[in-house]
Amino acid sequence: MSLWVDKYRPTSLAKLDYHREQANQLRNLVQCGDFPHLLVYGPSGAGKKTRIMCLLRELYGAGVEKLRIEHQSIVAPSKKKIEINTIASNYHLEVNPSDAGNSDRVVIQELIKTVAQSQQIQSSTQREFKVVLLTEVDRLTKDAQHALRRTMEKYMSTCRLILCCNSTSKVISPIRSRCLAVRVPLPSTEEVCSVLTSVCKKEGLLLPVELAKRIAEKCGRNLRKALLMCEACRVQQYPFSAEQDIPETDWEVYLRETANAIVSQQSPQRLLEVRARLYELLTHCIPPEIIMKGLVSELLNNCDGHLKAEVAQMAAYYEHRLQLGNKAIYHLEAFVAKFMAIYKKFMEDGLDNLMF
Amino acid sequence: MSKLSLGGKASSSKLSSWVQPSFGSLLGGSGVNSFPLTKGTLAGERKSKVQPSSVDVGGKRPRKRKVESQASQSQFFSRKQGSQEDQDEPWVDVYAPQSQAELAVHKKKVEEVESWLRVHLDLKIANKGGAILLLTGPSGSGKTATVHVLAKDVDFQIQEWSNPTTSEYRMDDSFRQSFDPDSRFNSFHGSSQTGAFQEFLLRANKYNRLQMSGDSQAQSRRIILVEDFPNQFYRQPGSLHDILRRFVKTGKCPVIFIVSDSLSGDTSSRLLFPKEIQQELGIHHISFNPVAPTSMLKVLSRIAAVEASKSAGKISVPDKAALDQLCSGSSGDIRSAINSLQFSSFTDFSLEKGLWASKKGKSAASSFKAPVRAKGRSRSVKSTDVLDDSPAIGGKDASLFLFRALGKILYCKRESYEVSEVPKLPAHLAEHQRDRLLVDPELVIERSHMSGEFFNLYLHQNYLDFYLNVDDVARASEYLSDADFLTAEWTSRSTMLEYGSSVATRGLIHSNSSRAQAACQSSVGFKPLHKPHWLQINRTYRENYLSAQSLFINFCLAPISLVTELVPYLAKLSNPMRNQAQIAFIHDVGHLSLKRFPGRLKLEALGDKDPGGLDFDSENEEGTKTVEPGTSSLSGDTTAEPVLQSSQDPGGDLPASQPQPTTTEALLDDEDLLIEEYDSD
Amino acid sequence: MQAFLKGSTQSVKPQRDKAAAGSGGEKRQKAVPWVEKYRPKCVDEVAFQEEVVAVLKKSLEGADLPNLLFYGPPGTGKTSTILAAARELYGPELYRQRVLELNASDERGIQVVREKVKNFAQLTVAGTRPDGKACPPFKIIILDEADSMTSAAQAALRRTMEKESRTTRFCLICNYVSRIIEPLTSRCSKFRFKPLANDIQQERLIEICEKEIVLYILLQGIEALVKVSEGDLRKAITLLQSAARLSTEKEITESVIIEIAGVVPPKVIENLLQTCYKGTFEKLEVAVKTMIDEGYAGTQILNQLHDIIIEESLSDKQKSVITEKMAVVDKCLVDGADEYLQLLGLSSVIMQQATQNS
Repeated sequence: MSLWVDKYRPTSLAKLDYHREQANQLRNLVQCGDFPHLLVYGPSGAGKKTRIMCLLRELYGAGVEKLRIEHQSIVAPSKKKIEINTIASNYHLEVNPSDAGNSDRVVIQELIKTVAQSQQIQSSTQREFKVVLLTEVDRLTKDAQHALRRTMEKYMSTCRLILCCNSTSKVISPIRSRCLAVRVPLPSTEEVCSVLTSVCKKEGLLLPVELAKRIAEKCGRNLRKALLMCEACRVQQYPFSAEQDIPETDWEVYLRETANAIVSQQSPQRLLEVRARLYELLTHCIPPEIIMKGLVSELLNNCDGHLKAEVAQMAAYYEHRLQLGNKAIYHLEAFVAKFMAIYKKFMEDGLDNLMF
Repeated sequence: MSKLSLGGKASSSKLSSWVQPSFGSLLGGSGVNSFPLTKGTLAGERKSKVQPSSVDVGGKRPRKRKVESQASQSQFFSRKQGSQEDQDEPWVDVYAPQSQAELAVHKKKVEEVESWLRVHLDLKIANKGGAILLLTGPSGSGKTATVHVLAKDVDFQIQEWSNPTTSEYRMDDSFRQSFDPDSRFNSFHGSSQTGAFQEFLLRANKYNRLQMSGDSQAQSRRIILVEDFPNQFYRQPGSLHDILRRFVKTGKCPVIFIVSDSLSGDTSSRLLFPKEIQQELGIHHISFNPVAPTSMLKVLSRIAAVEASKSAGKISVPDKAALDQLCSGSSGDIRSAINSLQFSSFTDFSLEKGLWASKKGKSAASSFKAPVRAKGRSRSVKSTDVLDDSPAIGGKDASLFLFRALGKILYCKRESYEVSEVPKLPAHLAEHQRDRLLVDPELVIERSHMSGEFFNLYLHQNYLDFYLNVDDVARASEYLSDADFLTAEWTSRSTMLEYGSSVATRGLIHSNSSRAQAACQSSVGFKPLHKPHWLQINRTYRENYLSAQSLFINFCLAPISLVTELVPYLAKLSNPMRNQAQIAFIHDVGHLSLKRFPGRLKLEALGDKDPGGLDFDSENEEGTKTVEPGTSSLSGDTTAEPVLQSSQDPGGDLPASQPQPTTTEALLDDEDLLIEEYDSD
Repeated sequence: MQAFLKGSTQSVKPQRDKAAAGSGGEKRQKAVPWVEKYRPKCVDEVAFQEEVVAVLKKSLEGADLPNLLFYGPPGTGKTSTILAAARELYGPELYRQRVLELNASDERGIQVVREKVKNFAQLTVAGTRPDGKACPPFKIIILDEADSMTSAAQAALRRTMEKESRTTRFCLICNYVSRIIEPLTSRCSKFRFKPLANDIQQERLIEICEKEIVLYILLQGIEALVKVSEGDLRKAITLLQSAARLSTEKEITESVIIEIAGVVPPKVIENLLQTCYKGTFEKLEVAVKTMIDEGYAGTQILNQLHDIIIEESLSDKQKSVITEKMAVVDKCLVDGADEYLQLLGLSSVIMQQATQNS
């Protein structure tokens, strides 16, 4: 029994639940034969990967669904051995080059080279090019991106790239200009609702409209999350009731409690506790930037208009440092401390105003 | 590999061992010892022969040996006649402890070692298999000396392993050679070191009987001492473990391993003897603390007194204050303290003697240093500012300085200005008015012998306790953030590191407005210091992140959505399609156990935890790979005693110089000491 | 799909020299990037760059050619110009012998400059073509994207350039002349390529649309293309082709163009600004979140916002505060900071400034 997310993932462009217009365009693209490099971008949970897989299926037929996980080791010119996992079918190869850290350039060059140079064994295939799917391109180093640009041109005849990323901001413009950009927005709340309902129907479950709506609102338009939530709801209680609690992930709850702890008291001791909680989150694999974002949105809920602007500024400031710095905790903590300071001041001022 | 050939070799080398050590034993036995051993047996000779060298640093030994043996030949007959000769020998060797009373090690530790030895030496026959003792502690804490002293008291002989190097040394050290099967592997040293070591361990006792013609009593009481480890083991600790496993099964006599803790944090003892192995093989682990200042002072004054009487004025004996300073400067390293003492005791005579001494090679360095030292000392008498003078020769001191360095930054002693010279800040900056700082942050960092980055981590871990005000904390934390930001660019990191730590330390000092004036500084009181958790947290984070990716690769998800969406929800679902590793991972990482949640907010309650939490914590500190990060971060943050306790553990990154193992008292002592120093400024 | 059975294997190969590809039938035409297909064939066809064209024409008539340095924004015809000129100078046969083209796609370290360029430069050439026509007695080395060469490589080039001046002309092409070292710029005659004027671009695009009869495009679509491409003709043509690929049956509308160009629809930006002016912070949060959820790139939003803010009726001081923040945000985005937080920070500044006014 697989997850609903996987079980009911549409497998062809025609069956996609939303962004149908775009699906049509993609089909046109496949049909007109000449297939450019693609740059698929959009927020997490919008269905980028689903669309890419549908596209591949459209290109090659059902053969692309026979996936195998391969463990490749590549030897860099510096004799350093890089281990990387790839997912491949006979027609395509998927790799997350940012796994390789600073050696991503070598990984990209080597993998694409191997794919491009390997002969198509089955003569029955309809395309004379293979596809390399690179995920998280926005996390590639600049070096790797420049190398990618070269590689793209070099192996154009035997290999097409599909690049997948969350935002094109971090993709250098030469790459952007060489690719056909496909934006995949998150589904609207209504679309999430309808997907949830149809999935539940296929499961033979009855999903109350209100619950579907509540899930859709809670998931922040992230369809994957919505489906996981829905499935968790099912585990929690069936038959569904419209008012049942929607299970949240532990870390989200934990983060919210952390935010509450910050708001309820501002002192060095509390900061120490908050630090311990941040550590706890980190060890549970929640990336620092996610922690930061979560904290910001929780804290923003807890303060007033003028303060909000200030908090937003601070958040932007420290999140930037967090990206560049080596030790995330410094910046997270500095943010929390700063928030405590201005929040405390704000509360004290408010108190003074009340008194006079 | 025939036994015969080995036996032959061994016996031939035994021959030489009969001849050669006689010099050494005479030197070691009588040149050093006021009452030579009465036994006069071979065993006795051997024992004392090993003694002088034992206190040396492992790496330097061979060279010293050589000089020593040269010296010993020249002064063979005129040993005790002139004190100048004595100066050529390191006092460390001359005054090596001869009895338990002379040992500067804490009694309990000695007893512990002794009882282990007694048990295992006696039970040896009944209890088949080798017992293993692991001694750890900072260098110069008397580990080796303890073993050697006990060798006498408990009456056993020591067989020592040293890394086979080139043949040059073997001539000096035929004793070792006799147990050094490397002589058969001359052509391939590097790779066979491991093999040689293995043979040494596993066979030494087997063939010993053939070599030794001493009485059977001595033979039955024998231990193997290992201080050097073949380099290979550092790279592949596994191979050592395999050898040890075999040894435990087949070995006959106890083995003592001595591992010095390094300061830089790469703890070889952890690497070589991880907890699992210790448990698996039943290794008994005794960890030595730095030598306590009081006992060190005792030793130093004793030596000083003896020398003074011997030299009849040629050697100027340092006064009490200087001895004190040596003690505090060496941070519990008695070897470096004695060395410093020796160097500092040369008066200007040593200059005249310089020419003579330089021929001897060994003493040249010390005589050159002597005048420098003399100057330094005279200056330090004038101004006892701890930061300005360089306490002891040898530079050992500063590296053990961390505990105090942190204290200096965090307590940031200030001195109020004279009324007349107060520099006034304009009104709008008045809140930044600070009294004069008595520490130089850059110097403190430099002397902590630690990269600025690492030092910042320590500061970050500990600074919060010293702040009373959230605004101050906000400012301080921003400085820390600045510091990290400054070193973000790797291309410029090497240059920026210095500035980064400067920004962090000065920022922390400045932003603590509650300690802005000298008058109000005592308010904070004593706070315990902790080791930083970030490194461990970060490592766990990475490990989990990677294992998440590899475990759930068939979900084809980007790592971020994997860890923030899939895994946490999988934890909520009952999905049977997972393997064991996945289930374990989900259990560990996906659950952010909310059950523990209420307890988490009340951190204060946990803070006064009794030593019950100690074992738990120190276990975590030992770097066991078990992923229990949350709890460690928690307990580490809140329980003061365990962390400091662990700082004395072998792996302790915080080499505090407090002497006693009983933590709270020790800390208070140290704190007092700190304040005293400041007061004397 | 049948088009891609074995017969037409070559069709997807990008070919620089595809002058002959014009008659290959519709299937083949599709495969060729239009940028290549509609590259100017001779100097006269180069749009909008009169000065360079004048100089090159003179040399075509037999005058000597100086070393050249072309610089200007992308898509203004720098590469096209020199390629067209070279083709005219040498004719198709001699072209391969006489022209060495290196762009950033090739490895171009100091080693390459030393060896490849030198070797090529050292070949001597005759002053006539095989067909008897006169041609200039020198070779051309085109260094495309020269600003991405290391300064060491550039320095190495300096010597070669001087030594081989008898037989070789260099043409350096770059976007930023400031990244070419001084000694090189002083050895070349510099030509700046202007961004193409809108009407010229439009003319070209319509021309292409007419040749590619499959297209249904409205004038509105062309205008959108011109606007989106900001004087970059290559971008405009590429976008046009992509749009044509995506919507084979239907006509190409403005929205399709905007979509594939990755441009944020002006309405969305306008909405954000209005929220900044009028709304509350809560609404602002929602607005920013929605933009991110829609998948618009932070840098793109920033750029468009910048263009609009400059035009807005705010005081100079307000504008300067906002644009300063924009600069900071831009840098942060480049460094990889989170788009949502950065944009929220920016829009809260805009909001502060705007509300201060009223």
